Amino acid sequence: MTETASPTNAIVVEEQETRPGFIGTSIPRKEDRRLVQGEGVFFDDVKRHGMGFVHFVRSPYAHAKITSVDVSPALELDDVYGTLTGDEVAILTDPFFEMSVPPGSEIKDYALAVGKTRFVGEPVAAVVAATRELARDAAELVEVEYEPLEPLVDARRAQEAEAPILHEDAGSNLVWEGVFDWGDWHSCVAEADRVVRIKELHFDRFSSTPLECSGCLVEFNRGTGQWTMYGNHQMPGIGAIWMAPALRVGTDKLRFVTQDIGGAFGNKICLHPYFVACCLLARKLNRPVQWTEWRTDQHTANAHGNERWFEETEVAVKADGTLLGFKTHAIDDCGAFPRYEPLGCIIWAQVTPGCYRWQNVHVDFTQVATNKSPVSPNRGYSRMQHLWFTERVIDIVANELALDPVEVRKRNYVKSDEFPWTTPNGCVYDSGDYGRCLDIALELVEYDRIGIGSTLDSGTNNFGQSQLLNPDLQFSGNNEVATVKLDIFGEVVVTLGTVPQGQGHETTAAQVVADALGISPDDVTVRPGHDTYWNSHAGFSGTYASQFAVTGLGAVKGAVDQLAGEIRTIAAAVLGGVPEDAVVLEGGFAKLRDNPEAAIPFMGIGAIVNANNAILPEEARHVTLNCRYVYVPPFEVPDKERKYGNLTLTYASQIHVCVLEVDPETGAYEIVDYAAVDDCGNRIHPQIVEGQVHGATAQALGAATHETFTYDEQGNLLTPNFYDYHVPHALDMPPLKTGYIESPSPFTPLGAKGMGEGGGAGIHAVCAALQDALRPVGNPIVYDSCNPPHRVWELISNPEESRGRVAVESR
Amino acid sequence: MKVTGERTFDVPQQTVWEVLNDPARLAKTIPGVESFEVHDERNWHAKCSIPLGLGSLKMRIRFEKTEERPPEYASLKAKGDGVGAIMSMQTQFQLSSAGSETRMHWEADVSIAGPVGSMGQRVLQPIVQQQVANVLDALDQQVQEAARAGSGAPQEPAPSIEDA
Repeated sequence: MTETASPTNAIVVEEQETRPGFIGTSIPRKEDRRLVQGEGVFFDDVKRHGMGFVHFVRSPYAHAKITSVDVSPALELDDVYGTLTGDEVAILTDPFFEMSVPPGSEIKDYALAVGKTRFVGEPVAAVVAATRELARDAAELVEVEYEPLEPLVDARRAQEAEAPILHEDAGSNLVWEGVFDWGDWHSCVAEADRVVRIKELHFDRFSSTPLECSGCLVEFNRGTGQWTMYGNHQMPGIGAIWMAPALRVGTDKLRFVTQDIGGAFGNKICLHPYFVACCLLARKLNRPVQWTEWRTDQHTANAHGNERWFEETEVAVKADGTLLGFKTHAIDDCGAFPRYEPLGCIIWAQVTPGCYRWQNVHVDFTQVATNKSPVSPNRGYSRMQHLWFTERVIDIVANELALDPVEVRKRNYVKSDEFPWTTPNGCVYDSGDYGRCLDIALELVEYDRIGIGSTLDSGTNNFGQSQLLNPDLQFSGNNEVATVKLDIFGEVVVTLGTVPQGQGHETTAAQVVADALGISPDDVTVRPGHDTYWNSHAGFSGTYASQFAVTGLGAVKGAVDQLAGEIRTIAAAVLGGVPEDAVVLEGGFAKLRDNPEAAIPFMGIGAIVNANNAILPEEARHVTLNCRYVYVPPFEVPDKERKYGNLTLTYASQIHVCVLEVDPETGAYEIVDYAAVDDCGNRIHPQIVEGQVHGATAQALGAATHETFTYDEQGNLLTPNFYDYHVPHALDMPPLKTGYIESPSPFTPLGAKGMGEGGGAGIHAVCAALQDALRPVGNPIVYDSCNPPHRVWELISNPEESRGRVAVESR
Repeated sequence: MKVTGERTFDVPQQTVWEVLNDPARLAKTIPGVESFEVHDERNWHAKCSIPLGLGSLKMRIRFEKTEERPPEYASLKAKGDGVGAIMSMQTQFQLSSAGSETRMHWEADVSIAGPVGSMGQRVLQPIVQQQVANVLDALDQQVQEAARAGSGAPQEPAPSIEDA
């Protein structure tokens, strides 16, 4: 067994005693041995006797009426076990719960297409057979008659009178709309020396592409009426809230089990339509069914990131580059069904002014449905779009006013001594030093011509923000839970409410427990994965929104502190009725501070409570050594009238600087130098933090340079596989320089902040570097978040076109 | 995707018209045709294997004649299903005499859905145009054969009517 060496730096613990601490050190990750040896257990590794394989028949049309579905040719084949159609789904289930207000709330979303298909790849029927291949072949025999309808692919057209309507029940393509008005836009325009107008900016449609596609194996227990789903749903709590009412059962009938998940990024939050179809099939056919998504289906029809347009932006600015306010009209394209939406219509407001001191903000926000894949939260969800927008605004203003983007940033960044900083909409930035991070990044790169991206990773949501979208939603606050127990032979066992997908939760939870109990992380077993039967979980349990370091580890800290107290209680009682604070925990023993010879091993404590408790005095008999703690962050319900309040607890920051070289003949470009500087407060495990910075940078460089889900006019996805959708591989990555500072959060149990979603910085750093590099060839304006060489070539060939998007009014 | 064109045949208009309305002759113009079935005078079914880049695309195509004004105009709807693609096509042609020759003006609106459709119009347009050129060459050949035979009737028996 590998042994984790104690670090040399000492920390001060509560008892005012110094001893080695594991928090803040890069111990070997507990997960890695099984993962690198191929011994992880992913859902596709789970097999059951007699299980059938599911293949979905999918729509080839972006928008069509289904006139008939004939599954009989498929059923004629031997070893085809059964099928499911939209008509059956419409009878057996209710539409999924919608979070919007009318008209978005009127949208009917089912597990399979009912009556109509609304995007290419939408599941229309399902076939189950003895093998994956047979199911796929049999699915080809299902005869579906379609009557194609005109598709809607441009969100900007969605509300035009002649635009085709996706959801007749809603009567409109509008999902949600609202106006956010903070500060005083009109006064700040009056105060401004310049107003910069930007006609249109576009954040492109892309997504993360987890190594493991989605899927599940579903068993139905006829005796108890319960379904067990071995799958990779990353947020079972919300999954159950969608699925149970649709299936007309309680959430107690749904058991989600995972061990290892091969990446999720938010893409695996909206798997409920597929899981419901599998539940229906498992019940109908009385056999376990297994569905593994094909890669093309993952690209075509799982979930994309939100595409967003920013129309008619105005920026009020002083001549010296002091930013006063901005106004824009955002149009968000959520694809064919809202699902997790319209939450994206408010999530961006967590970072309303970006890293800057803007006080006057007016955003008119509209979200519409189009005939494209539905969206789901994608790493950096909704904030990435908005942060890219604020960064683009800064650079365009600097460019048009002939100011230095570094100086404009430094003038307008929230300063390190101004934290906690309240944004115009009441969010509280906890800590940071953006200017210092920028300086470190600038020192790391070896060139003067650079592009900068600054991003905030707002972690730990206050779900009360959902009430700003729909006042009737009864969600607010947040919670996460952990249990820590000491078992009969002295085993320390931790269960988490979270559903890790590679973030190293077992490791960091073990670090926190080890430090609180004075033992090694090697002596702590953190149950891998999640099982809703056996793991404690709370309403918002899951792994999402950069919150584990705060909510997950906050729960672990709470639970282990309770356990440490119980161990002291038992030791104090057994060691002669001494006060509990006379007991210290060290090296797997509970000892008397003044007499280390008087010591009981944890094994003894576990044995006494579990198997020898008659020796305990009455006052120690309440101890169970099984401690559950629910961490609840300090949130209040936001003010619905003013759309004002604190929406997230922590704000980690990343500042990226990019240097690139462009070939003016072709538009091809190469990143020649790159630095990413991170500040996420106290780092629990620096190597995991570093890995997240690398991952966010790779996500950003893919999104900025190549990754795009492009649709043609008929709504066909033109990039449905890795041949056309180019994800950066190792050789595409530039040499990456990283740096960090630590500004501890005053609001969290460990001074840490969630930090998994810093990619916004990188997308903009590339855009800004392009803007800078292209200045000598007509000074075109980079207006799109994704700039493959052909778009760069267009900017070079016709700079006037993009320059026409920008105007400066002097006042 | 709209494709249009004109073609001149050095045979009388009636001969061209008869070829275009003879399912057996028409069958021979379909790229990679494997079987052809006449349901009634307006509805024909074909199975074909259309050469497409690296492989070929197996399709069942249903043709329906939607309008005709002999001997000068007809319109046709075709719908094809295959693994990875659904094709629909609206086509029409207009014949006119120019001396001893016959001029055919034709238009087709082709849409391809499914995974093959995701290759995009830029990729598919040249393929469709190449296939159209093949159809027209085959048609030319049929027209010449018909003219040599002195009538619109085929020299050889029609392809197998029965599907496997």
